[in-house]
Amino acid sequence: MPFDTATLDAPFASLKAYDWAADASAFKPIDDAIVATQSDAAARSDIERRLIALLGPDTSRACKEYVCRKLALIGTAAAVPALAPLLADGDNSHMARFALEPIPGPEAGNALRAALGAVGGNLAIGMLSSLATRRDAAAVPMIAPLLAAGGATAVAAATALGAIQTPEAIAALAKADPLAGDAVARAIVDARLACAEGLLRRGKRDEARAMYDQLATAAAGKPAARAIELAATRGIVACLDTTTS
Amino acid sequence: MTDRSVSRRRFLASTSLTAGSVVAAPYVITSKALGDATTPPASDRIVMGGIGIGNMGSGDQGAFLGRPDVQYVAVCDVRKQWRDGGKDRVDAKYGNKDCAAFVDFRELLARDDIDAVHIATPDQWHSVMTIAACLAGKDVYLQKPETLTLREGPLMIAAARRYGRVVSGGSQRVLEDYRTIVEPCWAGEIGTIRSADLSIGPPPMACYLPGQPTPPDIDWDLWLGPAAWEPYNAGRCDGNFGTGGNSWRSYIDYSGGSMTDWGAHNFGGLIFATNLRGQQPAKVEYHPRSADGKDGAYATIVYPTGVEIHCNRPQHLKPQKPSIAHERGIQITGDGVATAATPVPAYKGQGGIYGDFIECVKTRERPFRDIELAVNTMTGIHMLAISLRLERSLAWDRATQAFTGDEEANHLLDRARREPWII
Repeated sequence: MPFDTATLDAPFASLKAYDWAADASAFKPIDDAIVATQSDAAARSDIERRLIALLGPDTSRACKEYVCRKLALIGTAAAVPALAPLLADGDNSHMARFALEPIPGPEAGNALRAALGAVGGNLAIGMLSSLATRRDAAAVPMIAPLLAAGGATAVAAATALGAIQTPEAIAALAKADPLAGDAVARAIVDARLACAEGLLRRGKRDEARAMYDQLATAAAGKPAARAIELAATRGIVACLDTTTS
Repeated sequence: MTDRSVSRRRFLASTSLTAGSVVAAPYVITSKALGDATTPPASDRIVMGGIGIGNMGSGDQGAFLGRPDVQYVAVCDVRKQWRDGGKDRVDAKYGNKDCAAFVDFRELLARDDIDAVHIATPDQWHSVMTIAACLAGKDVYLQKPETLTLREGPLMIAAARRYGRVVSGGSQRVLEDYRTIVEPCWAGEIGTIRSADLSIGPPPMACYLPGQPTPPDIDWDLWLGPAAWEPYNAGRCDGNFGTGGNSWRSYIDYSGGSMTDWGAHNFGGLIFATNLRGQQPAKVEYHPRSADGKDGAYATIVYPTGVEIHCNRPQHLKPQKPSIAHERGIQITGDGVATAATPVPAYKGQGGIYGDFIECVKTRERPFRDIELAVNTMTGIHMLAISLRLERSLAWDRATQAFTGDEEANHLLDRARREPWII
């Protein structure tokens, strides 16, 4: 029997007024319905539509937060247009990403990339974090220039490229100085090592070896870069182990 | 990002330079620095700091602080009372005021002289701090539950291996509390194990607590860290080990609830006994509530070798005569055909799991609860939690670290971290 979404009218009315002090038991039917409708596409779509409707300016941060938690589980491309404007809103940016990050398909990635180009500071780092988790290859041309931004943004950009691991990401990381000795350089080295591990895992032993060799050679004989030399040497040894993929 | 010997030498060099440039003080080697019959010389002591010095953190601190082969130099906590208390214990131990105290863990990790840290924060911080510590060249003793999400585990393992760090999980009970089932299983006495039953606690709950004025002795933003911003409420961050709404361990943003808290011990003890720590489950089978409502829902974790672990299976469905049982809700059934005995893995060094960690810091061996084994443990519990939450069976692909054929379940592999935190 199809789920009767009319039974959710009262819970959604309570949710609309929620501001961290409401009786949470009023929302439980929404949680239960999300689980109960896993094979009922029409009901799921209706629940998603109702959740999306609560992302506008007339609801509290607490309400939007609840909605984003639910959309993180059942959200589809249909939710992206309502979530995207929240990415630039300091109060709601994180929870918008919370919902968008796991939504498959190009729409969520497009929204995160657009926001990366529009926001700065910590919000931009948030976009980098989500694009890293999504391994968004299309974001690399936007992320690569941020390696020169300095500070936490550059560190996050390096981390993101180290997660994405496409040839373009590896090429962008290769252009940066791995031995500058600061936090950004450390993150870039870390990202390059992560990329080399990914190559080795995917059976691209020669490419991984080349990356390790570059780092080991650059760090050789430099006391301040001893940890880099050791990490690269561990990688070289792993490349020599033909029992691993 | 330094290896231990390099960082120590570099620190000594930089310290000497700084001291020399400020004042030409006489260079005095104290008797404490030289050590004695019970205390190694300073050069052989492991220099440690602690991050998260609350309930469990203070216990961990006490264990490390009591070791003669540890020199404890710094504490970090976002709450003043814990921070001050942790510093006071260190200063009292050494009879000075030298212990540094930090609010922000990044400042502690930036100290080149620190070899190792112990971490006992709420769970949302574990992956961020562990990865940062490895990157900073520190070895890590990390309280359980080691992970909050499935995506975190492989990243933590990678960081540990990349920099050759010793990273130990923090369940002392796995070896110490379950000997009565571990030893017979490893001795081969109950034969080949096919099935086990486990009682495991509930998952975490959502938190809807209203806001309260934030007290001045807590950095609330750093307490939350990668978790969603919520208004301060003492009920979110106070308490100790309660999982019934009376502690941060109750809430999904900061913990996996009793399911991962005690599960790290109990499930950990069971898969140690059954020698499954090196594996990750192949699937979780969900069993819904019975039609007559008498039997509650439960789930079965199935390993690639075919071993089934039934979690909270109704009593009447369990074997009435299991081969062996443990008082904490574990029973194991073997085929009764004795097999060859295998030596039980043990702690290295002296002093339980803490001594195991310190010994491995010295020798660079992998500890008893190496991060990879800890992650394998947590992976099984996270899979169980997601299966029960979604009320369906799930298949796991270890190679891709994702659920097979279930996009919605894959939405729960991770959760977006609040800026500026990234792993």
